[in-house]
Amino acid sequence: MNYLIYMVLQITVIIVFAPLISGVIRKIKALSQKRKGAPVFQMYYDLHKLFRKTSVVSETSSWIFKAAPYVFFSTAVTAALLVPVSTLIPQPSSLPGDFIVMVSVLALGRFFMMLAGLDTGSTFGGMGSSREALISSLIEPSILVSLFTIALITGSTSLSRILFVVNSSENQLPLQVSILIFLALLVIIIAETARIPVDDPSTHLELTMVHEAMILEYSGRHLALMEYGAAVKQLTLITLLVNILLPFDGMISQTGMMAILLSLLFYAAKVLMAAVLIALIEINCVKLKLFSIPNLAALAFILSFVAFLQFFVLGGNHV
Amino acid sequence: MLTKFMAGIQGAFGPSILKSSVCNRNELYIDVEPERAPMICTYLCSELGYPLVSMFACDERELTNRFFVYYVFADRKNTKLVIIRVAVDPAKMEIRSLSGKVYAAARYEREIKDLFGIVPVGHHNPKRLVFHSNWPKGAYPLRKDYEISHRPDVARETIKFQKVRGEGVYEIPVGPVHAGIIEPGHFRFSVAGEPIINLEAQLYYTHKGIEKLCEGKSIEQCLYIAERISGDETFANSLAYCQAVEKIGDIRIPGRAQYTRVVFAELERLICHLGDLGGICLDTGYGFANGQFRMLRGWAYNIADELCGMRFLRSVNRIGGVRKDFIAGKEAVVIQLLKKLHTELTDTVGIIKSNSMFMDRVENTGILKTKTAGDLNAVGPGGRASGIGHDVRKDFPYEAYGELKLKIPVYYYGDVNCRMNVKIDECFQSLEMIISALESMPEGKITGQVGLLEPYRFSFGMTEAPRGENIHFVMTGENNTLLRYKIRTPSFCNWPALCVAVKGNIVPDFPLINKSFNLSYAGNDL
Repeated sequence: MNYLIYMVLQITVIIVFAPLISGVIRKIKALSQKRKGAPVFQMYYDLHKLFRKTSVVSETSSWIFKAAPYVFFSTAVTAALLVPVSTLIPQPSSLPGDFIVMVSVLALGRFFMMLAGLDTGSTFGGMGSSREALISSLIEPSILVSLFTIALITGSTSLSRILFVVNSSENQLPLQVSILIFLALLVIIIAETARIPVDDPSTHLELTMVHEAMILEYSGRHLALMEYGAAVKQLTLITLLVNILLPFDGMISQTGMMAILLSLLFYAAKVLMAAVLIALIEINCVKLKLFSIPNLAALAFILSFVAFLQFFVLGGNHV
Repeated sequence: MLTKFMAGIQGAFGPSILKSSVCNRNELYIDVEPERAPMICTYLCSELGYPLVSMFACDERELTNRFFVYYVFADRKNTKLVIIRVAVDPAKMEIRSLSGKVYAAARYEREIKDLFGIVPVGHHNPKRLVFHSNWPKGAYPLRKDYEISHRPDVARETIKFQKVRGEGVYEIPVGPVHAGIIEPGHFRFSVAGEPIINLEAQLYYTHKGIEKLCEGKSIEQCLYIAERISGDETFANSLAYCQAVEKIGDIRIPGRAQYTRVVFAELERLICHLGDLGGICLDTGYGFANGQFRMLRGWAYNIADELCGMRFLRSVNRIGGVRKDFIAGKEAVVIQLLKKLHTELTDTVGIIKSNSMFMDRVENTGILKTKTAGDLNAVGPGGRASGIGHDVRKDFPYEAYGELKLKIPVYYYGDVNCRMNVKIDECFQSLEMIISALESMPEGKITGQVGLLEPYRFSFGMTEAPRGENIHFVMTGENNTLLRYKIRTPSFCNWPALCVAVKGNIVPDFPLINKSFNLSYAGNDL
């Protein structure tokens, strides 16, 4: 029963609201350019339209091209199910999988996306895949190091356990570690969701694309799945960021339905804040030179590694 | 001055010179022996330092039973053009290639070969330029006996791109249809990973046969065609055409018309540069700055609308002046709008220059060296960013430019940043120049006396278009028509410069470098 409630809530919150976050970020960017911008619900309309359209598939492509959108979307949803949106929702007694699974599942999705980029044999797809391989191989170590630091402090690699610990009032992450991990995760999210300064989601220039280049050949429902999957992945990563590093659930004194509602409201506010922050970064930055992206990845790694060292410096006895 | 120069040439090459004459005050035409032409041209270009600014052929069989090839050299210090003319025998259809000595000649010779069938003997790369593989052999549309309505069969010729071989080297074909709403052109990159080893641009997808279309048309009709050569250089092109015709007809332009032309020419430069600056920002993903520049461009367009009711400045020029007194009574409003634009532009430029990430993108990207820029005769902002400080407004002052204050911005490093700086400086300069032209505008008529033009006269019209030096050659036929119209827009000169500038850069920087030049496809393809 618990399992069912958890699943339903996770799916409604993350899967349903994921496109809205992209819409909000786009809206804020448009306002900074003195444009009205598309409505925040635009991505829902787009998905609706794309799901009804036929997919055009290149004759030279193999089954990988057709399978990749489904793999990518399902890995994103799987990852989403591993990151609880609220600790007050009755948790399944043993949620299978921890953040290592989450990172690997996302890597699987990306792997298939890169293969699909190569599969059609178009120039841009191959370029996108090679760049994505470069960026992801640089970013992945920082994700693992930051999450391991938290795991060391909280004593578990399970995300529901981590969230339970950080939300319990007496055991909070040391502030300096929180700040470092927050910054590292922010860089990671920007890189993973293909945003400025790593990639430009709104560009029309094929030669500069990374994420868009890989999905350039997709159309119809395949494209819809790819875009939807990317939005779900984005909200999952934002959830990870805000729920671990901005825990509020511990402060809620109500119980029952009221508590869950309040906690979800807090969650919505936090996600919105993160979306605004990402939009502000996108507005104020420009795309880095491709060969400067390793520097940014190095920054994320250093931040997470310093946090990791802090754990030992501070005695490592916080649980 | 011209006679003294001619005496020097006579002394050096006396026996090879058949005839020489001075036209339109500063155009010196020298007919030479075909065999000796490369030597004289090399002397002009290498010894005297006159760059080859245009080269074209002309079918003059109805007059002299010959084709002629014109090599146009510009002496920018002394405001003169030296034109070497070589007769080509219709039975032989050959010239000796100049491309080994004067590199800039290479593309002109290929163009002439495609359009006239005059073969440059000894050319290092006599590949097709204008026509693609679907154009049949032996169809030369600019010969007079080629009917304009004739539709040739679709052929299957082969055109090979330059091959770069080696381990890990592969080709990226891009275009001709691009993702944005832009003109068509095919780019073939040879890359090793991300760094670009070679770039070959195949253009001429928008070849419309403008030069052929104008032949036989009346002088007035061709003005409309000239205005439509390239969408964002309407005024510069119509002005160059008008100037050429006005020189032939010896038409005096009243002062008020001259100042009005300066106002519109500078307004067009402002609009074009603001669009380019926005494009540079957009290609680095700097959406905010792009939005700012787009807005400013909109304001500049509105000023154009306020003045002449036409945002793209068509139908402003006419031969002998301008169509209407567009300025009268609007000075105060326009100056106020320009000052507002000036303030906002200053702020925006301050913001983008203090963004270190943005500056990191534009600095050291797409460097065009001074020597290369000189050899290719790179013009306009593309040349001025690489230390080639030429500007038609200063070297060959036209209209009221001689009377207005003008400082040419020159940068030396040749990267995207320098090209951007040239454009920023020119924006401010254009703003100031429009204001001072509006303030010091003389009263009087706006058109001069225009009569019928003498047949078989020729002349050059030169303007500084937003993209650089723009040279139109006009030769009149009978009954006030055109016999030959050769358009050399700045884009023709700068496309090869772009291909050189991207070498050694990485693929994702190409759009940025391309945008910093912002060349016209329509203006190149004609």
